[in-house]
Amino acid sequence: MIRLTIDGQSVEVPPGTTILKAAQKLGIDIPTLCYMDGLPCQTSCLVCLVKVRERNGRERFVPSCGTPVAPDMEVESETADVAAMRRTSLELLLSDHVGDCLAPCQFACPVHMNIPDMLRHIQSRQFDEAIVTIKEDIALPAVLGRVCPKPCEKGCRRGSADGAVAVCDLKRIVADWDLAREDFYVPTCEAASGRRVAVVGAGPTGLSAAYYLRRRGHAVTLFDRQVQPGGRLRDPNSSGNPAILPPEVLNREITAVLAVGIEFRGGARLEPPNVRGGVAVDSLRGEFDAVLVCIGEQNQRTWEALGLPSGPRGVAVERGTFRTVIPGVFAAGNAIRGRGLVVRGCADGKEAAFAIDRFLKEGEAKPWPEPFSVRIGKLAAEELDELHSLSLDAPREELRASVDSCDLDTAEVNAASVQAGRCLHCDCRALPGCRLRRYAERYGADPNRYKGERAVLRLQYKESHVLYEPGKCIVCGLCVAVTEAARLPLGLTFVGRGFDVRVGVPFQRSLEEALGKLAEQCVAVCPTGALSFRDGKTPASLPILRSG
Amino acid sequence: MNSARGQSLGGGTAETTPVITSQPTHSIDLSPVDEILDRHGRGPEATIAILQAIQSRFHYLPQEALEYVCSKTGISAAQLTGVASFYTQFRHRPVGEHMIHVCRGTACHVKGADLIMDALVRHLRIPPGQDTDPEGRFTVQPVACLGCCTLAPVVQIDQATYGRLTPHSVPRILTDFLDRSSNGAVPRNWHFISPQAAEAEIRVGLGSCCQAQGSRRVYEQLQELTVRNRTPAVVKRVGCVGMCHQTPLVEIVPRRGTPRLYAKVRPEDVAGIFDSHFRPRNPIRRLRYHLARWLDALVGASEEAVDRHRIDVRDPPVCAFLGRQYRIAIEHGGETDPLDLDEYLRRDGFHASRRVWRDLSPQSVIEEIERSGLRGRGGAGFPTARKWRIAAAAASDIKYVICNGDEGDPGAFMDRMILESFPYRVIEGMLIAARAVGATHAVFYIRAEYPLAVERVREALRRCQERGILDGKSGGEYPVTFSVSEGAGAFVCGEETALLASVEGRRGMPRLRPPYPVESGLNGRPTVVNNVETLALVPWILRHGTERFAALGTPGSKGTKVFALAGKVQRGGLIEVPMGVTLHEIIEEIGGGALPGRTLKAVQVGGPSGGCVPASLFDTPVDYEALTATGAIMGSGGLVVLDDSDCMVDIARYFLRFTQDQSCGKCTLCRVGTRRMLDILDRICEGRGRPDDLTTLENLSRAVSAGSICGLGKTAPNPVLTTLRYFREEYEAHLQGRCPAGKCVALIHYRITDDCIGCTLCAQQCPVHAIPLTPYRKHEVHDELCTRCDTCLAACPAGAVIVESGGVEIRRAKVARGLGAGEAAAASPLR
Repeated sequence: MIRLTIDGQSVEVPPGTTILKAAQKLGIDIPTLCYMDGLPCQTSCLVCLVKVRERNGRERFVPSCGTPVAPDMEVESETADVAAMRRTSLELLLSDHVGDCLAPCQFACPVHMNIPDMLRHIQSRQFDEAIVTIKEDIALPAVLGRVCPKPCEKGCRRGSADGAVAVCDLKRIVADWDLAREDFYVPTCEAASGRRVAVVGAGPTGLSAAYYLRRRGHAVTLFDRQVQPGGRLRDPNSSGNPAILPPEVLNREITAVLAVGIEFRGGARLEPPNVRGGVAVDSLRGEFDAVLVCIGEQNQRTWEALGLPSGPRGVAVERGTFRTVIPGVFAAGNAIRGRGLVVRGCADGKEAAFAIDRFLKEGEAKPWPEPFSVRIGKLAAEELDELHSLSLDAPREELRASVDSCDLDTAEVNAASVQAGRCLHCDCRALPGCRLRRYAERYGADPNRYKGERAVLRLQYKESHVLYEPGKCIVCGLCVAVTEAARLPLGLTFVGRGFDVRVGVPFQRSLEEALGKLAEQCVAVCPTGALSFRDGKTPASLPILRSG
Repeated sequence: MNSARGQSLGGGTAETTPVITSQPTHSIDLSPVDEILDRHGRGPEATIAILQAIQSRFHYLPQEALEYVCSKTGISAAQLTGVASFYTQFRHRPVGEHMIHVCRGTACHVKGADLIMDALVRHLRIPPGQDTDPEGRFTVQPVACLGCCTLAPVVQIDQATYGRLTPHSVPRILTDFLDRSSNGAVPRNWHFISPQAAEAEIRVGLGSCCQAQGSRRVYEQLQELTVRNRTPAVVKRVGCVGMCHQTPLVEIVPRRGTPRLYAKVRPEDVAGIFDSHFRPRNPIRRLRYHLARWLDALVGASEEAVDRHRIDVRDPPVCAFLGRQYRIAIEHGGETDPLDLDEYLRRDGFHASRRVWRDLSPQSVIEEIERSGLRGRGGAGFPTARKWRIAAAAASDIKYVICNGDEGDPGAFMDRMILESFPYRVIEGMLIAARAVGATHAVFYIRAEYPLAVERVREALRRCQERGILDGKSGGEYPVTFSVSEGAGAFVCGEETALLASVEGRRGMPRLRPPYPVESGLNGRPTVVNNVETLALVPWILRHGTERFAALGTPGSKGTKVFALAGKVQRGGLIEVPMGVTLHEIIEEIGGGALPGRTLKAVQVGGPSGGCVPASLFDTPVDYEALTATGAIMGSGGLVVLDDSDCMVDIARYFLRFTQDQSCGKCTLCRVGTRRMLDILDRICEGRGRPDDLTTLENLSRAVSAGSICGLGKTAPNPVLTTLRYFREEYEAHLQGRCPAGKCVALIHYRITDDCIGCTLCAQQCPVHAIPLTPYRKHEVHDELCTRCDTCLAACPAGAVIVESGGVEIRRAKVARGLGAGEAAAASPLR
């Protein structure tokens, strides 16, 4: 047995064990992209670097996946030096990574809803899946489907070709379909946290915040001066035009929101301390663990009278965390912005819920984490054509707004499927399983640090059910190793050398012919989205191929 | 005009990522492929040899042939495709009738290889993005280094090498080549007299560089003359003399009397030199001879020619060049016929190996080498004895000794010269190594760019087998089986694990060590990989005793080191000096110092893995540790001298472009890291640098160096780090839009001053018509058309063309003799 230390912890392993395996024994998680149990060690990605000090005092960085342990070796894994090296490897890989993790529409959408995922579900007519995706980020989709000015569609890459995908209408159709069901979608909430939150103001911000706080396991009481929740959505002078947003739709949607288990107290107006019949911030602080103020626009004097710090546009809060200077008191939506879009209110509600959740669970409010994404930016016409070639070639059509009913007919479902099929799927098909993205996020890698000339976006083997995107390939060698180990007649190989090396099929045969029955396995080992199923399906994990 | 200069051809475009395309289905005759398979075998290890043979038959790799190989052998389609696309030697498209290889070595780079490339492309009218002229006559391809550094810049057209080129001479060499290939008579081999009966020996250096300077024609003429005149002399081809700055060299060594050395001999001088030594025996011939001499004397031509070329080894420059040297690895350089086995045996050849195999135990061989202090000459300086000891201790019935002849550093050609000139010496070194470690097999790995070296080593092995020294049909003296593997154009194969992959017929990708090759190398067996020079030193050490070797050098670095001295120095060449000699002594005494009117700035030591040592540190001794302390490394021994006309940022970029292009592409830090470093350097050289670029560059360099898995990546940042350390102010000047040396094309401008006399020479010679023809008026350069080829500056007789950078004048055309500045001004019609 060989004894060594990793991050100061001593461990004993048999000779020939790699540092990676020794670290795993200690529960130290070393990131790897090119390592996979059961396949030969590739030592190509260099994300698993560790610093070792050997007996002779020499210090160096080595890839832990392929370096055997030595007696009395001292290994550093979780130090700043090592993290910096891993970050550099990741940043270099990202500098040559042609793809968007998240689609541009997702960035354009103020609530950052996973639009491409929703569209894939709609295209395959899985509305039940689509509503789950929608409600991850939007508490009021039927409402937004009617009142939103659709910033997402302005971000759509297809917009510059033959019109953006009708994202907003499609979302509305799914939401309407859901609300028409007897058993509309009610998500399961996390286990009760034992903490109580007061949300004051039941407009779009308050409803959203209450919904997501409840989903995170907190007990929520929603207060409003009106008897019915809805706030400005019921105000004909604001967003409550019944011709656009029928009260029937609004009522059903609010019912679905409250169904997660939110207590609503109507007729409770926020008042300065000691005003009878109202609720005061101070007293709420006494009764609840956190208070979120999301009542509408007020003037400065009113805010001060209510005992809240005010700024130029409303209640003064810290950007991102929504917290005021009063401990445990938060404000969001029009309370801090004056007048904002309904979708902005929904986004604020969700983000404030996240910040309050952190405050309740970790003692400190944290801002909603900006999702990590590599972004290509502008695409050339040929590149757009490349994406276009995989989507439905149908013109954009407006989908009928079912103003007075939530019912849908088959024709509408079919039309929705076609419209959703127009999506170019700019987002990455491997998003959930991408280890490059996971570690880039963990090490705070900046995709733009070493930005060079961008390679052209290409999709290869489009006729196959497996796609190869050379721009996303990090040349780790795992897929090549899978086909090599299986001694496939054709298989995959590296083509070229150096910076331009990529994976290819010999003699220009098809990927289907090259991979045979190993397609699923090759997609499964790919640490990025370079090899993916054309339909975005996630490969089943294979027993011998666990990530290292 | 920018980074794309010279890169349009293979530098980083289409050709680097060969798409294995299917050729039009016109059927080709595949019967030669069967022959090739019969000759080279059908196993995976034969992959590279098979591909090379197919390429030499078809001039590229037709896909039908590759598919056929797959169907007939055990080589998988994946391996064949992977290998064919890894090595730059392989071509996937049909080529022109003739191949022009443009050397991109360091010496060629600093002497304007890019301009030669531009001139070729322009002259042959090669369309952008392509490499073959529209008529399909010539295909132009850059190569890493042809190893003729002292003749820079150099191109090779098929087998002919042309040196010391200028953009202006490009059309001439093409015409010359076509003329020669059309008369194409290959001379017969003349043998007239036995060496024993000869009264004199005429030695002609026939190394690759000498041949490039025309020594082959000199040799042929001398042979013809001896035959015609029945002269009792032997014309002998000898290996490299090392004095590359004087080539072609002819040495006449009479049995009695003083040897005479003639330098820079032109074919038209040969007769004169010959006649001054050998008088015809036949009375009629003698009469004719005297008549000719008398006529010549009247004209006075021939005598003068002879005097002009004769140099004496006692002449001060020759003394200086040879005096500091101590020759072990290149002992007898310029005296012996590389392939004459008898001569090698006469000079104690195979004595050391015989003693080692008969009288010494492997253990004592290793001990002797250990006492000599020999360290690997390939660059890293690992103690040879330690390597041998580990391999000797490894238990295996099969072990290998490999001679690493994949000398790929631009600016280094000592291994080529040793293999070409002393093949028997290296074979003997390998026999000794084989005894020490118990090896059963010995493999030469030689890069394909060295055809002469491959040819001579193969021939030397054949002759040894014939003589029963090596294992042949009749059994040999030594139980070691020799073979030769050729590289296929991948610098990284100089790295030992990549070399092993290549010998096994795979892509030359290094792997992580341990396990080290001495434990698990070729085919998983213990393998010692030694550099050519290391092996060439071994027989001498065992013949003359370890003490004599260890007496040379410094405490840490024993013996001698061979260097290829090139660049901006008076006398370039191949030299062997004792360790401990200072860079100053090499550059000033042996090399003769700076070119006239120039000041030395730095010397680039160790090629792309090494660094630039500034002139202020020229007292650094040649010693592994001392050189490493400067940030450079000993490396394989390239010394490229740089002067004030060289831009250090450009030099750093040049080396990085080389390593980046040669990266195998396996590990992230090297594959992407070197590319991003190059992006930054490109930016800086093009005047688009950002304020934080130097910090980013430095940090990235350190990361690439610390994290890459093989020597190529670990050392690739050295040229950048050393120039940043010693010449940071040049980087900063570039950030401000100025190239102090006037080298970076995007930062310099050509301008014609009022001194212009309107002679139109510049306008006539400008290859891109950037100077309108305006007789008797001041000319002007159109900056946006100008390619900075420097032709106008060379053409201007009036000192009126200047190069500016950042508003500062860098260089100015010379005023032609007989045309003083004042006269020029007076002659100008503008005054």
